[in-house]
Amino acid sequence: MNAGVEGTALKTAAGEWGAAHGVHVEVVELPYANLFEKEQLDLSSRTGAYDVIMMDDPWFPLMSENGNLAPLPRPPDADFIATCLQVCKNAGTYFALPYVGNAQLFFYRSDLAQKYSLGEPKTWDEVLRAAKTISEKEKIFGYVMRAAPGNAVVADFVPLLWAFGGDVLSSDGKSAACDSPAAIEALRFMLELGKYSPPGYAGFNADEVSAHLLQGSAAMSINWPAWIAAMDDPSKSKVAGKIDFTTMPGEREKGVGELGAWLVGVPAASKHAADAFDFIFWATDAAPMKQAALRGNPPTRRSVFELPDLVANFRAFPAQLRSLDSSRPRPRTPKWNEIENAFGIELSKANAGAEDPAAAMRNAARSIDEILKRTP
Amino acid sequence: MKTRRIPAGFVPEGLPWVAPSVTVLLALSIYPLIFAVKLALTGAGGAPTFANFTRLAHDRVFGAAAAQTILFTLGALAFEFGVGLALALLIDSLARARSIFRAAILVPMLLPPVVAAVCWRLIYNPQFGVLNGTLRRIGIHTSLTWTNGESSALASVIGVDIWEWTPFIFLLLSAGLQAIPQEPLEAARIDGASAWQTFRDVTLPLLKPAMVLAVLLRAMDLVRIFDQIFILTQGGPGTATETVSLYIYRTAFRFSNFGYAAAMSFVLLIATMLFSRGVMKAMRAR
Repeated sequence: MNAGVEGTALKTAAGEWGAAHGVHVEVVELPYANLFEKEQLDLSSRTGAYDVIMMDDPWFPLMSENGNLAPLPRPPDADFIATCLQVCKNAGTYFALPYVGNAQLFFYRSDLAQKYSLGEPKTWDEVLRAAKTISEKEKIFGYVMRAAPGNAVVADFVPLLWAFGGDVLSSDGKSAACDSPAAIEALRFMLELGKYSPPGYAGFNADEVSAHLLQGSAAMSINWPAWIAAMDDPSKSKVAGKIDFTTMPGEREKGVGELGAWLVGVPAASKHAADAFDFIFWATDAAPMKQAALRGNPPTRRSVFELPDLVANFRAFPAQLRSLDSSRPRPRTPKWNEIENAFGIELSKANAGAEDPAAAMRNAARSIDEILKRTP
Repeated sequence: MKTRRIPAGFVPEGLPWVAPSVTVLLALSIYPLIFAVKLALTGAGGAPTFANFTRLAHDRVFGAAAAQTILFTLGALAFEFGVGLALALLIDSLARARSIFRAAILVPMLLPPVVAAVCWRLIYNPQFGVLNGTLRRIGIHTSLTWTNGESSALASVIGVDIWEWTPFIFLLLSAGLQAIPQEPLEAARIDGASAWQTFRDVTLPLLKPAMVLAVLLRAMDLVRIFDQIFILTQGGPGTATETVSLYIYRTAFRFSNFGYAAAMSFVLLIATMLFSRGVMKAMRAR
């Protein structure tokens, strides 16, 4: 499992399930950068080293190929949030259950929004205007984003792309669509926002973005629910209680955040598949999921999100649920890692000022088309 | 011509002694090499193909990565060699406290590269980092974003490598200087040679074996640079610091395309071997 906030609740759940069933559970924690490769190697070489694996949802199309994951023995129930459940399916069959209900949120300084009568940003244009006002009047960065190549820049760009009416791939998923006028305009807009972002953001990752928010040196950003707790913790944040969380702003289209759910599944080569399935169904059941939510894990069940005692404790829950309901997953293709890499390189170049937005998008589309046409 | 017949069933006396190391070499070096070549020449479905090698020719990212690897290697090597040699000569010329200086210079090299890279990532941070912080304090308000800037990223990464590995060149050249016999140096002095003449005509030629070794070892290490770049920039911004090793890693372990990664590894191996031979030839020729 992931050695980060996303893995903590599952690790505790594994210990509890093991103690209740008299089964010794060995937990292997790996940093995000290595988790994918270890799991994919285990799956493709069918070593059966792991009985349960935790997957970031964009990995699922590749990991569930070639029968490498065991199909669920029974379908999941209807309480799971539909957007989280749809990424657990490959060719109509369920191979995983959603455990961490992550979807991007928009973080903004509500105290500054109030001070300058800006209100909650509903469109990207409002975000840009707010960034400008705050930069000028507060002498802090109005906005902060991450544009390091790969996952970072793509995650921060895709909500803009969708809001402007563009997309990464065509609707049939067989060709690139990121060189459309809407997509180029979205990138131009990103560069405009970049003027109010800290210098060097073309090399930023999630930790730099959150550091700026926590230090109070930037006012707005796209971020993940896992960071909410830190924002509200006075020992970590200089602006505790001053940051609000809302759904993604729109522009020409309704605002949509990227889904980043974590799933649990059982490798086909698992030597303890029955126990493994028993565990994942138990861990994703309502009562253990509530316990996990109390430990900071964003749930994937509607009933848990709506529990009054949880809503009272976690002020962002209503926004998180709205965001999850409207979120979109990244394109479902086994080649997503490679596409994201190629797309991210061009986006990062444009943000670093090394390439014109139109040229960047044309180059990205060309690379993506080559990847899609290529047999592995 | 005299020939000696080898009797049937003859087992050379040394065989049991070399067998373990030969087995290890076969298992850990030769077999993986053959396997990698086979992997590179195998297409989807197991059919033999040259596609992985032809793809290399028009892969823009590989082209950029190769160019950057060469630039990185040459840039870092030139600085490390120049500074390492200067430091070795300087410390060697000291009358006392040589061992204290030597130990102090070696400190960066003793840090694990990953730890050093994480430290430098913090140092280079444009807003919170100690580098820009210090510059601001002394009145220089720079907008340089170091590893995050398109034009400064590669130089910043080279800077970290110079900081960490110049001591290695220094160490080898220091050892080389100490091994130079005193007699030719004294003879040169008696013959009235100037310090520069002594250095150029006596010290340098005698130091050549150590210099070849230092350049070769460092160059081979630089060509496969991975850890520092992985931590400092992940190859970005864009492809500004993408290197062949990083691209091979991504291709194999992120894109699960082991055939193409094997092809790139093979090309990198051949290039490194050719480069090493070139350096050895050039140094021998002089």
